[in-house]
Amino acid sequence: MLLTPDFDTRPVITFQHVFKTYPTGTEALRDINLEVPEGDFLFLVGPSGAGKSTMVRLLIREEKPSKGKIFVDGIELGRMKRRRLPYYRRKVGLVFQDFKLLPNLTVYENVAFALRVLGEPDHRVQTRVADALDTVSLSGKEHTYPANLSGGEQQRVAIARALVHAPRFIIADEPTGNLDPATAWEIMQLFLRINARGATVVMATHNREIVDLLRRRVVAIDAGQIARDDRSGRYHDVVAKPQVRAQ
Amino acid sequence: MLLRNLKFALNSAWQSFWRNLAVSLAAVLSITLILILAGINLLVGHAFSQVLDNFRAKVSEISINVSDDTPLQTVYDFQQQLTADPRVMSVHFVTKEQALAQFKADPQNVVLAQQIEGNPLDAKLDVRVRSLGDVAAIDTVARRWPGVDPTDPTNYQGDFVNRMLELSQWLSLAGVGLLLILLTVSVVIVMNTIRTAVYHRRKEIEVMKLVGATEWFVRGPFVIEGIMTGMIAAAIALALLVVAYPPAVDRFKSDIGFIPLSYDPAFISSLAQDLLLAGAMLGALGSYIGVRRYVRI
Repeated sequence: MLLTPDFDTRPVITFQHVFKTYPTGTEALRDINLEVPEGDFLFLVGPSGAGKSTMVRLLIREEKPSKGKIFVDGIELGRMKRRRLPYYRRKVGLVFQDFKLLPNLTVYENVAFALRVLGEPDHRVQTRVADALDTVSLSGKEHTYPANLSGGEQQRVAIARALVHAPRFIIADEPTGNLDPATAWEIMQLFLRINARGATVVMATHNREIVDLLRRRVVAIDAGQIARDDRSGRYHDVVAKPQVRAQ
Repeated sequence: MLLRNLKFALNSAWQSFWRNLAVSLAAVLSITLILILAGINLLVGHAFSQVLDNFRAKVSEISINVSDDTPLQTVYDFQQQLTADPRVMSVHFVTKEQALAQFKADPQNVVLAQQIEGNPLDAKLDVRVRSLGDVAAIDTVARRWPGVDPTDPTNYQGDFVNRMLELSQWLSLAGVGLLLILLTVSVVIVMNTIRTAVYHRRKEIEVMKLVGATEWFVRGPFVIEGIMTGMIAAAIALALLVVAYPPAVDRFKSDIGFIPLSYDPAFISSLAQDLLLAGAMLGALGSYIGVRRYVRI
């Protein structure tokens, strides 16, 4: 069963008047205000260069906002000490368009990597990696290297790695960008299952078909600003459709 | 958890060393060459210090000539005074008769000894001074002693000793300077080699950081790999030096016979310690600096 985003539950991700200007002078985000309740499934859509990836980078604290505040699970990311950052990232599962798998590690080792970093004992690593690979239907491919997997399989390994430590948040940046439509759909099913287990999912995407088909919350970014925020949205704005603001 | 992290770092370092064998071997080769140079420097330094020690032992002995009319008790008192001096290692009293016997026993004095009538030689106090730098002070004490032979008080040759002191200081300074240059060069080489290795693995580092690895968790395997690389290089350098050391000394001895160079097997263990320690430290320091830029979150 899928969780329906409940706008009345407390927000676990909050953007408060967030601006981001890069040292080159490029204004990537302007006055972003956004609240994401726990268990939400949110698509960030918009044209290339609109600011979606900047929002993702801010959420995983690869960047700090130039102005404004971002809270995740009560932590203000801009003021978080550098030494606390690894512990914050352990709460988050990350999935990228280019999978970011390590080519010299097997499927098992890639997924186990996220647990090794946490210093988990071997027996727990074994059971949790087996569970994660089972979730993404890759049992039996433990000893295969990424180069011998299809794009969809590689992305499933990346998803297994993102969920193996049971994170509360999944942040995905164009996770279906390199995949054919059928495989992209399979991957989306996985995200829905992870969301159904209670994880909050924020996904930046260009995949119109999937966004339109799933009819989840859609936040459209245009020229660094939120152009619309639909509770059950489509990729492109439908003028006749009533819009629901999150805040 | 610390042990698990250490085990992970060791495994990761070992795997990385073999998986990036070409880069690892380049690093081993660079460090080996540097350590061979450093080892040669240490060996040459040791050989010269052996030669210098011989000279030092000779010039740190001073003979105080005793005037013929000095009562024996006064000589014994002065011998005791010198023995009590912390700068003095030993004092040996040589009577006039013993001095003559020594003189005659020296094959260089055969002709002179035949011409000697009676005993013109002074009794003397042979004083061994602990530090070469204190010989001048002991000489001054001796010259002030009333029992000394005023015509020929001591055999101390100030200029020669001072020059020896100066030479030994310059030689050890040059050795230290050369070693410092070699170490700096090697740190830079290791740093750049490790930086290349780190560059090859920047994706792995990025993933590590994204899944929540702490800076030390990321850095640990690289530092261990650096230590491993340094120690392998040190072992190779040591093996080559140990093999080449005795024939090199023989060759040197036959070519430049007047410098009393000798093979010292006892120095090998000290050299092994120094090289392994230097290899480990260079590897660790080079990796630590090399990985810094990529590890900072």
